[in-house]
Amino acid sequence: MHIYWENILITIISFILLYFLLQKYAFNKLFSIMEQRRELVMNQLAEAANSKKAASDYVEEQRKALEQARLEAQGIIETSRQTSSAQADMMLEQAKEESLRIKDEALRDIESEKNKAVAALRGEVGRVSVQIASKLLEKEIDEKSNEGLVDQYLKDVGSKS
Amino acid sequence: MHDAPVINLGGFNLDLSAIIMLLVTCVITFALVKLSIRNLSVENPSRIQNFMEWVVEFVQNLIASTMDLKKGKAYISLGLTLILFIFVANLLGLPFNLITDLPANYTVFGQPIQATVGLEAGQHAHVLWWKSPTADISITAGLAIVVFILVNYLGLRLNRKHYLKHYVQPFWIFLPLNIVENLSKPIALAIRLFANIFAGEVLITVILKLGFFGIPFMAAWQGFSIFIGALQAFIFTILTMVYISQATTHEEAHD
Repeated sequence: MHIYWENILITIISFILLYFLLQKYAFNKLFSIMEQRRELVMNQLAEAANSKKAASDYVEEQRKALEQARLEAQGIIETSRQTSSAQADMMLEQAKEESLRIKDEALRDIESEKNKAVAALRGEVGRVSVQIASKLLEKEIDEKSNEGLVDQYLKDVGSKS
Repeated sequence: MHDAPVINLGGFNLDLSAIIMLLVTCVITFALVKLSIRNLSVENPSRIQNFMEWVVEFVQNLIASTMDLKKGKAYISLGLTLILFIFVANLLGLPFNLITDLPANYTVFGQPIQATVGLEAGQHAHVLWWKSPTADISITAGLAIVVFILVNYLGLRLNRKHYLKHYVQPFWIFLPLNIVENLSKPIALAIRLFANIFAGEVLITVILKLGFFGIPFMAAWQGFSIFIGALQAFIFTILTMVYISQATTHEEAHD
């Protein structure tokens, strides 16, 4: 294997020639297209990022609206609960008052009946005691004249008892 | 051992095989790149455009691994030309070699081929016409010299002070050592590439002598040779970039 300096020279020349030819006719075009493609991809990436951000913003907005609606519903439920409970309380109060009134009435009735019974009993007792007294004394006593006396006596006894 | 078809033309020893193979390599490389940029498209790249862009990005990454890409952008074309040229050159010798047995005093263009001069009648010279151009040390030396000149030129042009200073570092007594180091770079480049490809071709010749039994070996070795061809192209390119990077960067900048 000889080394020919002519070969070396030819190689150098042909390599440099190839380099400049490629540079001039091929690589510049290729590089510029690659640069454009890079920009295109960059733009598309930026666009995608933008639309993603918009979508997430929209979702956030929707979420907020939903939250708002939920709060409102809660408020409505709370109000209606309060209303109904107030109504129930009122009805209960009314019922209580009604029952109290009925009870008072009943008590008053009882009282008046008792008083009537007491008065009736008192009359009866007076009559019976007069009969007993007249029998015991075997003395004729005018029933009419003594009635006032007995009444007076019984009244005294009643108030003392 | 095969001879090269050398003719003596006007005092120059012209190796016809080297000239032909260089021409073929250059044409194929140029055609390959030209083909890949035929229908360039931004939106809808063709397959070969994608391939070429992959190659460009490969070279870009390769340069970026040795130096700042902002500075290395100027060398992308060089790296691409080197890697494509050497890869194509390495593969050319794989499918076949063309060897002719030439009689004595065989002439081309009216000039006798040197190897056939002085042969007795009936003797033949084995002349190798088609081979990998990189299996010729003159050609790898040519490539290495291009790199050597370029590296030193760039070092002197862009980084003169530090480039000259590195010859006497760490002490002035290291000057001869640094010169030897600098000279050994192109020699190593040339011999590494030549030896790998030449050895591959020699082994192909040997396997051919096995006849039919050699077919599996041949298949394996051809595949491996493609790998070696790509690897050597890669090594040559990355070493070029490393040398450029070494010559053009300030060492202080890394501290």
